[in-house]
Amino acid sequence: MRRALLAITGLAASTSVLVVLKGSPGATQVAQDLPRTPTPVAPGSADPAPAEGEVAAEASAAATTGPRPSRSPSRAPSARPSSGSGSDGGGQTRKPSAPRTTTKPPAQPTTRTVTGPVVENEYGNVQVQIVVSGSRIVDVRALELPQETAQSDQRSEQVNGRYSGSGGQVVERQSADVDTVSGATATSTSYKQSLQAAIDRAN
Amino acid sequence: MTRPGLRRVEQIMGTPISLDLADDLPAERSHELAEDVFGWLREVDARFSTYREDSEVRRFDRGELLLSEASADLRLVLERCADLWGSTDGFFDAYATGGLDPSGYVKGWAAQVASDRLLAAGAGNHCLNAGGDVRVRGLSSSGRPWRVGVRHPWDPHATCLVVTGTDLAVATSGVYERGHHVRDPRRGAPARGLRSVTVVGPDLGVADAYATAAVAMGVAGIGWLDRLPGYRHAVITEDGRCLHSAHLPLGE
Repeated sequence: MRRALLAITGLAASTSVLVVLKGSPGATQVAQDLPRTPTPVAPGSADPAPAEGEVAAEASAAATTGPRPSRSPSRAPSARPSSGSGSDGGGQTRKPSAPRTTTKPPAQPTTRTVTGPVVENEYGNVQVQIVVSGSRIVDVRALELPQETAQSDQRSEQVNGRYSGSGGQVVERQSADVDTVSGATATSTSYKQSLQAAIDRAN
Repeated sequence: MTRPGLRRVEQIMGTPISLDLADDLPAERSHELAEDVFGWLREVDARFSTYREDSEVRRFDRGELLLSEASADLRLVLERCADLWGSTDGFFDAYATGGLDPSGYVKGWAAQVASDRLLAAGAGNHCLNAGGDVRVRGLSSSGRPWRVGVRHPWDPHATCLVVTGTDLAVATSGVYERGHHVRDPRRGAPARGLRSVTVVGPDLGVADAYATAAVAMGVAGIGWLDRLPGYRHAVITEDGRCLHSAHLPLGE
């Protein structure tokens, strides 16, 4: 009984401490500011709050560290926006699909790095990242490409092992001099998809 | 030393389309012809895309456009798709996904029309490659017949055959592109047995539809291809064998 009373008192006390902290001068202002602060950092980002988490995760990339010092001191507690935005862990789970948007130092017009999704194909994964300056793509990088040669070597060996010398014609690999090629390639398709998605995210 | 002619690539209909104009024409004329080709292909994309809700194909499919109101091009495409449904014994099916999707014919047809127009405009030496569907005419800028490689079905960076000619449509359909995406419309299951089918003949839209149909038929497609008048083929089976028509114009 005594213990229960103590527990209830404790709960009441901690709640009031929280209320006092929240109500303290300035705190409300910060809370109101927070959801908006990422916007100037990541212009055009459709989903700024989760993107903030990504920025932190990708901060090791050379281009990403710039914008923080340039912001006013009110943004100093940079760890708080993700928890303070009320997503309550939701921002965490949404992270992979969120656009990874960062900026370079303010020396140039807004330069952003946007990463496309991982697109799978038979030979592995393809992921493309673009660097956008203003409305122009200034760089395209393949973050991930399949090591298809290793796999297809292996397959060709299997095929050759099974059919060498027997009837019918074994598929041969040629690197003949040709003007063009009939039949699309899986890797280029995945590259295109990831690139297109990155461009869509940048807009 | 620069080669005569013009080369250009554009991304249209969700695929890279490349034009190699080998005729030694004034630069301005070459650019004009290339603009006609790509302008036509962009127009076809806008009118026939199943991804654009305002395309003529989507409006027709939703019943907002009557057949009598449709453009001559759309009516021609619908007629050809119906013919191909018959000649492929139902294995080429523009309604396979439920709604109308003639893109299996449209890409090859559009490239064929572009090539025909180039020929009529006096540019009889060119190669147009629409996402792996190829139409060649005349000679390449090196002065020899065009050499069209067929993509190796297990190695996207290699070719397994070379077809040469001065007036050819070459279309390849395979299960390597998006896995087993070609469905046997009768069983509703992914087609098995053929890894890739290349069809060579006079018309690119027809060649593409035949290649797709043969992949959907599976092993039975080999016999069917053999009986096609006017079109030759090369087939690569799932177990790595290559079979082709006796008269396929193979290069070195």
